[in-house]
Amino acid sequence: MRDVFIEIWESIRRNKLRTCLTGFAVAWGIFMLIVLLGAGNGIMNMANSNMEGINVNTMEVYGSTTSKPYGGFKQGRYIELDEQDIRLTAGPAFTDHIDDVSASLTQSGFKMTYGKRYFDITLDGVYPDFASLNQMEIVAGRFINPSDIKGMRKVLVITHQQARNFLGGKENYASLIGQRVKVGNLSFKIVGIRRSAENENDSIIYTPYTTLRGIFAKSDKIDMLSFTFHGLETEEQNEAFEKEYRQVMNRRHNAAPDDERAIWIFNNFTSFMQMNKGTHILEVFLWVIGIFTLLSGIVGVSNIMLITVKERTHEFGIRKAIGAGPWSVMKLIIAESVSITAFFGYIGMVLGMIACKVLDSTVGSKPLELFGESFTVMENPSVGLDVALEATILLIVAGTIAGMIPARKAARVKPIEALRAE
Amino acid sequence: MLIELKGVNKTYDNGQPLHVLKGIDLSIDRGEFVSIMGASGSGKSTLLNILGILDNYDTGEYWLDGRLIKDLSERQAADYRNRMIGFVFQSFNLIGFKTAVENVELPLFYQGVSRHKRHALAMEYLDRLGLTEWAKHYPNEMSGGQKQRVAIARALITHPQIILADEPTGALDSKTSVEVMDLLGQLNREEKVTLIVVTHESGVANCTDKIIHIKDGVIGEIEMNAQHNASAFGASTIMK
Repeated sequence: MRDVFIEIWESIRRNKLRTCLTGFAVAWGIFMLIVLLGAGNGIMNMANSNMEGINVNTMEVYGSTTSKPYGGFKQGRYIELDEQDIRLTAGPAFTDHIDDVSASLTQSGFKMTYGKRYFDITLDGVYPDFASLNQMEIVAGRFINPSDIKGMRKVLVITHQQARNFLGGKENYASLIGQRVKVGNLSFKIVGIRRSAENENDSIIYTPYTTLRGIFAKSDKIDMLSFTFHGLETEEQNEAFEKEYRQVMNRRHNAAPDDERAIWIFNNFTSFMQMNKGTHILEVFLWVIGIFTLLSGIVGVSNIMLITVKERTHEFGIRKAIGAGPWSVMKLIIAESVSITAFFGYIGMVLGMIACKVLDSTVGSKPLELFGESFTVMENPSVGLDVALEATILLIVAGTIAGMIPARKAARVKPIEALRAE
Repeated sequence: MLIELKGVNKTYDNGQPLHVLKGIDLSIDRGEFVSIMGASGSGKSTLLNILGILDNYDTGEYWLDGRLIKDLSERQAADYRNRMIGFVFQSFNLIGFKTAVENVELPLFYQGVSRHKRHALAMEYLDRLGLTEWAKHYPNEMSGGQKQRVAIARALITHPQIILADEPTGALDSKTSVEVMDLLGQLNREEKVTLIVVTHESGVANCTDKIIHIKDGVIGEIEMNAQHNASAFGASTIMK
């Protein structure tokens, strides 16, 4: 093996410039592949962290407008969900799949007073699982818990901006926990403080569903119904379930059973599956682009090896005359091709990883300000050891393929013809 | 017999068929020092290429050391060339980017001999041909005679059954030519190496013990020349 490497080194040394130029194309190809995959990973990491903490086995149901006339009603009728729907959803029809059902209710026009400070607020009556469904960050205290629901406790979860206001600009949020505020004429206790989006007009205050329903609600209408489910693993199963659920709900509201607009179902599980599918397609797409970029480099290597073979025909003739078999000549060419691709590919890979680090420290760490909203485009854009390993295998395979045609050409030429060549 | 050719025919087909060898029958014994002489186009080089398993023939039989050399695979042919045949070419055919000693080592490399061992052996052969101090030099730093001696060392290193020399003095001046022919003669006498020299120079042929004349693809006269006074050009002179 050492002898083969000495031979390769000698051959490359004689053609430094053209080897480097060819190598550049390979390095560029693999650089692009790594940067693309790194950026792709960054986007996927971001998407995944957005989904983090969300219980994906949930569906949210909202009322909507009908799209078909049914049962004497015209189309375009607004369907409102009510408590009967909660009971129906939790009822025996769906026990095979549905576990916990919760709902939320919104009511605005309240005034919340703390000392001399007050806010006009909107109250959302929710169940405890609302926090995990909506990725809520609690900075102090806790969210609504099951005993709050059961006891219809008058408790509130306020935003950190409201809390800061109450504290006169200070941020010792924990000191507010347990404090009492007035909502209308009633006294509520602050049990938690959540982080609200900094520059969004997000001032919703959460209270137990039962509390809001019991004290303020004038009817049994609800805004949203959500439930957790199990046993729906595939998209088909989910679709079938949604169809069945829709039929039952539509019938109850006198809408056509096959009307898909009467109620609106948001399925976290299928949207998660679709996101996964999307990220998978993105990854495949990036690999394809990267490989095609690399391909131009590989063609370059193949080309240069063909020239090498042509130049060295006479030498191969000598080698064959003194006993070199076809395989040993092929080995020489393929090994040289693999060495060039692997060496320059490795340089490209390292540079690509450095580029990913640069990307991480620029785009990855700072949220982007766009249209007054801030969002992070990427999170930790980098490629793992597995991709590095796959890229290495790819390089070796590519190098072998690049060397194969020239090597066969070299092996095939007859020694007598090769000796005659100059 | 070391070499036996029976009715060997060879036709090149480049556009129009060219019948180069027309039924060659030839026997060469171990330890002989033979020259094959003929004008250019007589088929002597083709015959040498067939003897050296560098080229194949159409009909007939070629027996080398009791083995029929016919329809060999590339790998097998390479192996036979490596172990049984040493080549000395007119244009030396040394590999330009390898030093003298590396060139001499090369046949052993293809036999899978270890680095250390083949280097030692190559140095030994270079020493015998008086080239020790040129071992680390590249071919373009050496004179024609030196290059040809390196090539002879390379041919000898595998202890081949035969050494085939194709116009070994063709690129050398007359003084060096004499030296090279003397060296080949000496190898034949002292080491009992079987030597076949292809030449069109009668002076070179005169250095050998047996002269096989080939003309228009057929073997003509076979001249025994133990006294080295065969030709009309006089003894031990090499005409240039």
